[in-house]
Amino acid sequence: MPEEELLKIEELSKHFGGVYAVSGVSLDVRKGGIWGLVGPNGSGKSTLFNTILGLYRPDGGCIYFNGRKINNLSSHQIYGLGIVNSFQVPRLFFQMSVMDNMLVAARGHQGDGLFNSLFLRGGWQSQERELIDRALEFIELVELGKMVFALAGELSGGQRKLLELARGLMAKPRLLLLDEPAAGVNPVVGKKIFQKLQTLSKNGTTFFVVEHRLEILFNFASWVYVMDRGKMVTQGQPEKIVDDPAFYQAYLGAE
Amino acid sequence: MDLLLYGLDLLVFIGIFGILAISLNLEFGFSGLANFGKVAFFLIGAYTYALLSQIGLPFYLCLISGALVAAIFGLLISLPALRLRADYLAIVVLAFGEILRLIVKSEAWLAGGDWGLSVSPAISITGVSPRVDLLVNIALVFSCLLICFVVAQLLSNSPYGRVIRAIREDEVAAEALGKNRARYKVQIFMLGSAMAGVAGGLYAQYLQAIVPMLFLPIITFTIWIMVLVGGPANNWGVLVGAALVEVFERGANIAKDYIALPIDPSNLQYILFGVLILLVLFYRPQGLFKEIPIKTRALEAVRHAREQIKGEGG
Repeated sequence: MPEEELLKIEELSKHFGGVYAVSGVSLDVRKGGIWGLVGPNGSGKSTLFNTILGLYRPDGGCIYFNGRKINNLSSHQIYGLGIVNSFQVPRLFFQMSVMDNMLVAARGHQGDGLFNSLFLRGGWQSQERELIDRALEFIELVELGKMVFALAGELSGGQRKLLELARGLMAKPRLLLLDEPAAGVNPVVGKKIFQKLQTLSKNGTTFFVVEHRLEILFNFASWVYVMDRGKMVTQGQPEKIVDDPAFYQAYLGAE
Repeated sequence: MDLLLYGLDLLVFIGIFGILAISLNLEFGFSGLANFGKVAFFLIGAYTYALLSQIGLPFYLCLISGALVAAIFGLLISLPALRLRADYLAIVVLAFGEILRLIVKSEAWLAGGDWGLSVSPAISITGVSPRVDLLVNIALVFSCLLICFVVAQLLSNSPYGRVIRAIREDEVAAEALGKNRARYKVQIFMLGSAMAGVAGGLYAQYLQAIVPMLFLPIITFTIWIMVLVGGPANNWGVLVGAALVEVFERGANIAKDYIALPIDPSNLQYILFGVLILLVLFYRPQGLFKEIPIKTRALEAVRHAREQIKGEGG
């Protein structure tokens, strides 16, 4: 069965002043499964993600999603296509409850519009009910069930990461970009997150994950890209990557 | 002097400034838009009302037109200004208010210049006592306040209110979650400006004469004090804030007639306002009343169910 191409990046570059954060990177993410992106700090992983999301404008190269060029779309349009992101440092709505954080992420809530919210209040209440049930499912998944109506600002660092992840899932993304989902959460929960991602990936969501906890990532990822100093240095199945000298060189530096 | 008249006059002012506080609360309290040009839209509403009433339009059309014209100006200024960072937005709209005041001051052909415009009252009943006249005004002002308050309450307790609060908290994250922040901000800016326009119209017809001097930047800051003291993102709180500040301000004027103080109470009140703002920001930055979480019927049902389970378990 030929796998469907979801995200395709060609010769992408992004520089800040004279620093090439991403330079000439090409990669493919096909539908389904967990795709890994690893590399030492400062190798350009987060910049790559932010460029895909439309938060940075690329300086060169192309990004395609489902065959459509998405270089010049704004980030809410990119969300509309089904690419959702969970930030490395959680960017929650801190003065809002855990539940409200989740509900903001819901796709196509009828009450999001000015007119509907004022005049069609009957219309979106039942939808809101369904969304709340779905939100509760994900909140339970990340073990925040006791904090549903607490303010996001009251959560601990690890809990914030988990809520950030749950919020991303709430959007029913086709491609979810996760920037270090297991960082700062305890190892057991970290592993649980990846197990859940694997289950979810069978239902049509594809995950593209930056993760420093290689021991977890390599157990779940089907393909891993390795970046170093803005360039893609190698790629392959995790079991092959661990024997690749380029991978070691990226992490340990040239001898 | 009839003390009751002072009280009724005070109520009219509380009503008008209540509308302004509600509208700034929508912009700043819920959406995080630092509108330091509030007085500009108040002025637009007042002058639109005055000019249209002079050509004989009925008062409700004058009020609605004032709201529409203010909303259009809100749209025009927000399109470029909302692309700026919050602090620059504040400077742009602050300058806009001053420019507008200077225009109506200098262009005598348009708006009477320094002499201003005279306005006929919205509802004039001949041969009634000033008390009845004031009561009519209070009824009119509070009807408008009620409409603005209900709109603000419905909006803030809806998914729309959730989105604008999210934009206030972190607009980049909100945008990454599919919310077109520019659209939301423009809508809120237009709605807030329309409300300020209504307040301006009510003000003009109540005073029956408007001059540029009435629209100094201090009006903007007075509205800000109401919102900050009352509690941003709490519609009840900002109403209390508006009432407190107006009692203070009108009270100083009344006090002037009755007590002899070594300093002018009107000047003293600005010093006291400054102290009040500092005290609130130091000791109660959330204002007298805290932000109320979003309430929708579905959310309340879940919250209620959860509390019951907790209650039985404990």
